Amino acid sequence: MKFTLHIWRQPGPNARGQMVTYNVDDITGDMSFLEMIDVLNERLIKDGVEPVAFDHDCREGICGSCAMMINGLAHGPERGATTCQLHMRSFKNGDNIYVEPWRAKGFPLLRDLVVDRSSFDRIIQSGGFVNVNTGGAPDGNSLPIPKADSDKAMDAAQCIGCGACAAACPNASAMLFLSAKVGHLGAMPQGEAEQSDRVRKMVATHDREGFGHCTFIGECEAACPKEISTEFISGLNRDYIGSAVKAAVKGEARGGA
Amino acid sequence: MSATSAAINPKGPRLRGSASNPFDWLNTYLGSSVGQKILVAITGLLLMSFAVTHMVGNLKMFSGPESINKYAYFLKHDIGAWIWVARAGLFLVFVLHLSVALSLKTKAMAARPVGYAYNNSAQATPQSKTMVQTGIVVGLFIIFHLLHYTFGMVHGIPAADGKGERNYLSLTYKLDDGVVVHDVYKMVVAGFSTGWLSAIYLISQMVLFIHLSHGIQSSLQTLGLVNRRFLPVARLIGYGTAGVIFVGNVAIVVAVWVGWVKM
Repeated sequence: MKFTLHIWRQPGPNARGQMVTYNVDDITGDMSFLEMIDVLNERLIKDGVEPVAFDHDCREGICGSCAMMINGLAHGPERGATTCQLHMRSFKNGDNIYVEPWRAKGFPLLRDLVVDRSSFDRIIQSGGFVNVNTGGAPDGNSLPIPKADSDKAMDAAQCIGCGACAAACPNASAMLFLSAKVGHLGAMPQGEAEQSDRVRKMVATHDREGFGHCTFIGECEAACPKEISTEFISGLNRDYIGSAVKAAVKGEARGGA
Repeated sequence: MSATSAAINPKGPRLRGSASNPFDWLNTYLGSSVGQKILVAITGLLLMSFAVTHMVGNLKMFSGPESINKYAYFLKHDIGAWIWVARAGLFLVFVLHLSVALSLKTKAMAARPVGYAYNNSAQATPQSKTMVQTGIVVGLFIIFHLLHYTFGMVHGIPAADGKGERNYLSLTYKLDDGVVVHDVYKMVVAGFSTGWLSAIYLISQMVLFIHLSHGIQSSLQTLGLVNRRFLPVARLIGYGTAGVIFVGNVAIVVAVWVGWVKM
């Protein structure tokens, strides 16, 4: 298969960037999108050109490293797949493919397709954990948890923090990521106790990192490689209202984070 | 006893009372993107309920001049000063909805300083991506609507002697009980008998439908009232309410046009 690639090239964070066109051939449909870029990079190295920089790690769809906007869709046209799990058979021979980095103020660009996603780490640091030592594995059934709650927590816990939600959102909002983290811990008795502090602090950090607000457009849900539902954002808002009421009634929890 | 400590409160700050500042709460919760979006949702739903009430009240056009004029007299006269409380409340809600939504939008625009070269969307509806644009059109329409019918500054009724126009507000109607009131019925018929005015109303109603078809379901989701199972119901409520407002309002314009409702 042959493709015409238009890739965003930018040598450094403050350098000027532009879309550069490359032609690739000898691509098979069974190659992943990253392998296709590997083929391109091999050629660029032989030609003495700087290869395209991109993030990748596990290449099996579980680490959340690979991050590419492909033809305007985060992680490309397949639903529920990361870029590394996107295969070239999803495209037609001879297609033009536009590859761009995540675009958001919270994701400053480092080079080519690589962005700095440490804003997500800071959001987690502001409340995405349980403050007590939960110890070793407890005895079975010593802490009864309804199946529905555990399923919900597991659905949210699938989030790999890739940033596709914020990249795909027209408002550049990372609310799906945030709500998955808040929803995952809040569904469990271990995390529930701190939920109202957690939601307030994590929302404050999310805003401080420069992400936008959620207007339930639903692009994030389609972009999410783990198919996390926007119902978690509704849940986050519910927790946020609860947190506000609790703070007003009890006079506790003042200040942002 | 000697002064051994200079500390004002050696046991630390008070536990209750003076330490709590209500502005901290406001800054924290209404200063965040989630809090502000909740504010937009609540004010939006209030404006929607006004739109429903307004539409239902206006349907009195179909039961004749006596009915609508009596209703208008009731609103403007019988409830006394409450009309000004209602107007002030409505104005406040409108200004809040507009200002908070626009401020969120500017922040969202700043959240993506460099845009994409290739724009695409996977499942976003067009109305969800144009809420600010449709909202601004609806806002301008409301100003126009007030100038037209409330202040009577846009259009007049041809005077009986054929010279010049009579102001809408000078029209009077005598109710069955002998009270002389403002003739709302005649004013509405005069307005919608004019083609360009009707066109503005029809287009604005379409834009309002587009705005509400996303706005209502988005507000319900923002208030945390929706889960995966309830989402189709929220969509139905959104499209349903938007549709009812659209059909009700457009029916009045069309009825005047085709002559069902006439002088």
